[in-house]
Amino acid sequence: MPAAKRHGNSLVLALAGILIAIFAAAPQAAAQGGEPSFFAIRGARVVPVSGPAIDDATVVVSNGIIVAVGKDAAIPAEAWIIDGKGLTVYPGLIDALTDVTLLSSSTPGRPSSSGPEDRPGATPWRSAADEATLADKRIESWREAGFTTVIASPKDGIFPGQAAVLNLAGDRAGEMVVKGEVAVPLSLNPVGNFRSFPGSLMGVLGYVHQVFLDSAWYETASAAYAKNPRGRARPPYDRTEAALDEALEDHGLVLLPANDSVQIRRALDLADRWKLRAALYGAQMAYETAAEIAAKKLPVLVNLQWPEKSKDADPDEPPTLRLLRFRDRAPSSPAALAKAGVKFAFYSGAITAPKDILKAAKKAVDAGLSEDAALRALTLSPAEIFGVSDRLGSLEPGKIANLLVADGSLFTEKTKIKFVFVDGRKFEIRESPKPADPPKNGPPGEKPAEEIALHMAGGAQ
Amino acid sequence: MNRCKLLLAALLFFPACAVQAAPPDSVPVILIRNATVLTVSHGAIEHGSVLIRDGKIAAVGQKIDAPAGAQVIDATGQFLMPGIIDCHSHIAIEGGVNEGSISVSSIADVAEVLDPDDMDIYYDLAGGVTSSNILHGSANAIGGQTLLIKLRWGQPAARLPFEGALPGIKFALGENPKRSNLSIPGASKRYPATRMGVEEVIRAAFTEALDYKKKFDDYNRRLKAGEKDLIPPRTDLRLEPLVEVLEGKRYVHAHSYRADEIVMLLRVAKEFGFKVRTFQHVLEGYKVADEIAASGAGASTFSDWWGYKMEAYDAIPYNAALMTRRGVLVSINSDSGQEAAHLNQEAAKTIKYGGLSEDEALKLITLNPAIQLGVEKRVGSIDVGKDADLVLFNHHPLSAYAVAQMTLIDGHVYFDRQRDIAARPALQKEADALIEKEKKAAAASKEKSAEKKPEEKNSDEKPKPPSAGSSQGDAQ
Amino acid sequence: MKNARTIRQAQRTTLLAAALLTAASFALPARAQSPAPAATATVYAITHAKLFTLAGAPIDDGTIILRDGKIAAVGPKAEIPAGAQVIDAKGLSVYPGLFDSVTEMGLSEVSAVSATVDSSETGDFNPDVVAAEAVHPASEHIPVTRAAGITEVLSVPGSGGFDSRGGGGVLTGQASAIHLSGWTIEEMLINKSVAMGLHWPVIETRGFDFSTFSRKDKPYAEAKKEYEKKLDELSDWLERARHYAQALEKGSPARFDRDVKLEALVPVVRGELPVLVFASRARDIRNAVEFCEKRKLRMILAGGEEAFRVKDLLKARNISVILGPVQEAPAREDDPYDQPMTQPAELSAAGVKIAFASFDNSFARRLGQQAAVSVAYGLPYDEALKAVTLYPAQIFGLDRELGTLEPGKLANLIVTNGDPLELTTQLRFLFIKGQLTSLDNKHSLLYDKYRNRPKP
Repeated sequence: MPAAKRHGNSLVLALAGILIAIFAAAPQAAAQGGEPSFFAIRGARVVPVSGPAIDDATVVVSNGIIVAVGKDAAIPAEAWIIDGKGLTVYPGLIDALTDVTLLSSSTPGRPSSSGPEDRPGATPWRSAADEATLADKRIESWREAGFTTVIASPKDGIFPGQAAVLNLAGDRAGEMVVKGEVAVPLSLNPVGNFRSFPGSLMGVLGYVHQVFLDSAWYETASAAYAKNPRGRARPPYDRTEAALDEALEDHGLVLLPANDSVQIRRALDLADRWKLRAALYGAQMAYETAAEIAAKKLPVLVNLQWPEKSKDADPDEPPTLRLLRFRDRAPSSPAALAKAGVKFAFYSGAITAPKDILKAAKKAVDAGLSEDAALRALTLSPAEIFGVSDRLGSLEPGKIANLLVADGSLFTEKTKIKFVFVDGRKFEIRESPKPADPPKNGPPGEKPAEEIALHMAGGAQ
Repeated sequence: MNRCKLLLAALLFFPACAVQAAPPDSVPVILIRNATVLTVSHGAIEHGSVLIRDGKIAAVGQKIDAPAGAQVIDATGQFLMPGIIDCHSHIAIEGGVNEGSISVSSIADVAEVLDPDDMDIYYDLAGGVTSSNILHGSANAIGGQTLLIKLRWGQPAARLPFEGALPGIKFALGENPKRSNLSIPGASKRYPATRMGVEEVIRAAFTEALDYKKKFDDYNRRLKAGEKDLIPPRTDLRLEPLVEVLEGKRYVHAHSYRADEIVMLLRVAKEFGFKVRTFQHVLEGYKVADEIAASGAGASTFSDWWGYKMEAYDAIPYNAALMTRRGVLVSINSDSGQEAAHLNQEAAKTIKYGGLSEDEALKLITLNPAIQLGVEKRVGSIDVGKDADLVLFNHHPLSAYAVAQMTLIDGHVYFDRQRDIAARPALQKEADALIEKEKKAAAASKEKSAEKKPEEKNSDEKPKPPSAGSSQGDAQ
Repeated sequence: MKNARTIRQAQRTTLLAAALLTAASFALPARAQSPAPAATATVYAITHAKLFTLAGAPIDDGTIILRDGKIAAVGPKAEIPAGAQVIDAKGLSVYPGLFDSVTEMGLSEVSAVSATVDSSETGDFNPDVVAAEAVHPASEHIPVTRAAGITEVLSVPGSGGFDSRGGGGVLTGQASAIHLSGWTIEEMLINKSVAMGLHWPVIETRGFDFSTFSRKDKPYAEAKKEYEKKLDELSDWLERARHYAQALEKGSPARFDRDVKLEALVPVVRGELPVLVFASRARDIRNAVEFCEKRKLRMILAGGEEAFRVKDLLKARNISVILGPVQEAPAREDDPYDQPMTQPAELSAAGVKIAFASFDNSFARRLGQQAAVSVAYGLPYDEALKAVTLYPAQIFGLDRELGTLEPGKLANLIVTNGDPLELTTQLRFLFIKGQLTSLDNKHSLLYDKYRNRPKP
């Protein structure tokens, strides 16, 4: 009897131990192996983007990497096989410019600025790679809409920071980063007003030009000073100049806002005059200017939030013909760009319901863009524009295993997304019972305590 | 032919449709026939004709035969004059006319923010204006850089600047830069708050510009002498335009009202060795006309504005005439997209107020502003060799009853009243059609989302397609 | 002075003496501000002029007799009374003086200097304030404006003006009709209360935030709520005024306390005092018309930028329109570029009675110009001329005394060398209340002074 009791006791202890281990280990589940990361989707229609679509093919994923794509792909024994009948496999979608993964911090009142030397609205050292947080609930909703990757960037100010390529999954924020610092987005909205510089568009342009000149000067001056510091005044340290100089030397890609024709032409001219390697973002009036953009060989990010009648509009104030034409023709801009041979990618703009992103892309298809080109703009083209096409953007062996698995063509309305793979990690997408908008970023200052802690840990400036 | 005209009208009227490469109405040869030609430079020619070739005035006279292939415009009973030049305009500027935050905003340049879609361009064209001096506002003692444009409606921004015209910079004296009429609740006053400060801002800026210039001259000298590893001075976009002023490469257009500040600026300019190209508004210019005349500065003023500010309280409609009589080169300007549409009428007022002759009055809006802006070799009168910038009126332009019928720039018709009228129904139709289209699309998508909801419910009950669950453990 | 030089010499010696006397008085530097009637003459005869009476065909070689402030006789052959000061106006034309029916005359001197501006009272409902109580007879604007041929105006509180701070009020006060001549308001007054100003509330979606000094737009629904609230307030005021009127009329005033604001509204709700409604957009005009009809208010429309969109409604309800300057940009980008300039013709053709007004004081001089431009764009000339003379008088119920050259009416008239609407026409003589009034004004005197500045 004592023996049984002893066994009973140790059983309880063992059970307790296991339970403790389970609960104690919950946050550290990642340290454990988890599901073996070998998957195969067999017998599906595979759309690699980098090549023609293949029917009845297999995609094999291993440790976060695509290892095989094709009709006769070998499937490792450890692989979990997904029957691809009736399914189509695409590269995971890329949102080419967004602030998903970044939670906007409450911006303290901007100090008044009395000129370019005060560097108003300039924080080019901020990096999305540093500030990305898994606490952003939009990550999940973007993923459920088929997006595996975003090019994320802070968006406050004129030089908000630098964009990074991030995958939408990970156990730690850092695991999201595919490549930090890939572009310097610019905004040309005046951050000031009548009392604080710059308060006008021409003020902003003068300011931006001055900052670029100063950064170039900083490089020359600090190099010359480093060579021989004796007997001369040292060039003062300016964080903006240092950060910009570094960025321009590194990737050197500047994103210029350019939505209507006047802005597009202006941006093309600025890129020339300021000698920038640039890409335009916005481009909703490219239907008029595609040839000019093509001539300058600049890539373009197209805002998929097509202009629409505002719900707040005054019903007695009819829209102008100019605006009506814009609303009517904007979705045909991608087709015009494609025809002119311009490389372009899609981004979500201010769309808050990510399911609307594909719908908007479909509108471009309806307006004349081929489905292939639309898909490319959501996959390989953004990868190319941001210099990560060697590892993302198409279904090719060796590339990161970011996949979108759907039960039909992406541009058919009834199609549902079934699975999304991010870095080889499988996410099954289930139908939500009601069509609800994904939770948005809360307004600044109203975040749950946990999120704030995470955000601060992520390294505020 | 009519469809052609409509298409051309559409091209003309809507920049959205305009093909950038070719300006509208690319007709190389035009003969305007049998008008009263008000040359401005050498009197009026009754039953006169003007031949236009390749954008220039090729011939002016009474009997000119139309060359083969020329488009002939019968201007019988009408009056042809040089295109009106507006020496003070804020049209076609995007994103704010003022960089009002700082006292010296020379870093800003209106040339970078031209908006070719601004309707005021068209309204001014319809009033006979062909060139406008686009200026920064008057919020600062030293404002932004300025430029002269031609009102080539339908062309992209890059095609608007008047080629070869020297750029300018806007100064402002008096109440506006010292913000005496503007108080923002809770904000402290910005420097300068007095006319003394306004002067000091200008002197300080030019002092700085001189030092800046010296630094660069110094650096260049040492560079030439072969010195290595020099740290160059910073390029300062705020001071560059001021150096250009000192070097005579950039015109100064100074908004000014009171007599004393006008003379003050002449003093400061003399001290620093630059010239004031024009005084703008210069409503008390008549009090110091001799001083202005002696300096060689031009004066660009209003016809009859007064009484809205203290410094405008002594403004008189005789200003232009009085200054003219004392030897000042005077133009009449608009400072407003609306006023610019009837500058011919404003000029006419100087006949009543001050007794200027018709030719003198016409000069105020043609040859005189052309000279002030340094482009008199190209525009400002109807002379062989000048640009074909012309406007046709149905009555003598110095009359309230005159209506502009046609405006040409570089020999292209940019405004045609008959065509404008003819194009209206088609435009209205297009707008209605697009609104209809949007309504239909909105109704269709409403239906779709109404249909979807019951469908989605059903799909939950449908048997799911074979998925991971069922394939579990299948052999490969 | 120009006038002295161009007076034609009369034939009779007495007339010569009188003319020389007149000439001499013009040559003296006159006081800038107040009118200096030439002599103590109360009888004038203007002879050999082309008379545009606006009460029939023009009279080519006519005579007009002025006595005791009124027109005594008009005709091809009017008898010249003994002792009359005769002005030989051969080659000249006589017109009724121009009537600018919406101005800030005398209520604002330098619009940027608030100490000199009395045009807009604070608060939304000020029906009891009266323009005449604040008109400054010595305003420099008065002689300047009459030198352009304008002899009478309506001074309207809260009517706008160049650089003005705008009203913002709803019931802005009573408009007063004044002659542009007089040492005191008593001498200037034609009618103290001619109309009640009502600024129709606007659904304001475009706002401006002064704390950030930038634009701040409001959603339509919110703006509409604010608008409706203001309308409700206005309705309440009128309702209370109606009650007050009833109590006054039927009951005993001793039994209730007086209220100056409601009292001011009594003539309005009785339909005796018209409401001068400031409204521009078609929707606002429509709403205002409906509102006034429901409450049986007599409405005159001021502004009416989009009146052409509701012209049939205006015609059906017999609502006159006082139009502001026509040389403006069209209300909508897609409207024809000349819409504001063709509107007068369009309204007139539709049977709507129109008048032109400057809505200002600094720019009142341009009144004739606006009328002329409307002619250039299709308005018949006679209609345009009447729109700045007879029609405003009729619209405001002052046509018994003003608006035409007819015996019995006030002698407010101008003698010109041509079309008073044309830009280059010179004014030779100005008569207000039958007095020959000096054309000296601040501007002409400054001109003289600096014309005579010796060369340095």
